[in-house]
Amino acid sequence: MINCTCVVQEGQSPDQNRGHIEDVLNSFASDSFRETTRIAWLQVAPGNGFTAGKPSTSSVVSMTANEPLSPERRETLLRKLVSLWTESTGSTVDEIVAVIADPN
Amino acid sequence: MPLYICNSSRGTLDAVAKERIANAITDIHCSVTGAPASFVHAVFFEEAPHIPLGDKTLAVRGTIRKGRSDAQKQKIADAIRSALVEHGDVATGQADAHIQETPASWVLEGGEIMPEPGEEAEWFAAQEARRKAQGV
Repeated sequence: MINCTCVVQEGQSPDQNRGHIEDVLNSFASDSFRETTRIAWLQVAPGNGFTAGKPSTSSVVSMTANEPLSPERRETLLRKLVSLWTESTGSTVDEIVAVIADPN
Repeated sequence: MPLYICNSSRGTLDAVAKERIANAITDIHCSVTGAPASFVHAVFFEEAPHIPLGDKTLAVRGTIRKGRSDAQKQKIADAIRSALVEHGDVATGQADAHIQETPASWVLEGGEIMPEPGEEAEWFAAQEARRKAQGV
């Protein structure tokens, strides 16, 4: 099971789009790690997210891989994840922070 | 990255306090590490189960790029704790701050793998080149 946490600014990604984003993340994890995904959503209410001390439009999507990754493979997967995220949400690459961690 | 997540008891922080704490966190992180402010994210939740409050009223968990010294991490945590007490109007001992690390190479932000601490100038140059190439 791949754990995935998505920290999103409320209103940026409509709730009705969430199912589609989950499908995309599940497919990504299945293709990349051959595992299913457990997704946790943390929605940041308006006025509760800041970047550089100013209201933020950034989201964070964080996954933990099921095996240690080489730098090249991790970068490839991160770029794919960001591409899928921006396509699914309509956000820009400047509005997404993606993390793929090694397992503990 | 860094990402600072603040959790509080319900109703502890109003909008002004959150903005002041977010600015304080940004200033503290940048002054201790030399990182640019545009890297610093701070988000606020109430009674969030993923950041246990325990016996505290306010708690911050900061995830920063790996490579800072123990003294730097301690300084950040201590200063954030003080900022929570000052701007959150809670008693000393009711605020907690904890710093954890993530390798920069595990994070992609602004379309690029995050730079190692101290290599930010090259990173911004690469970003600028990408934007120019894209006509942004």
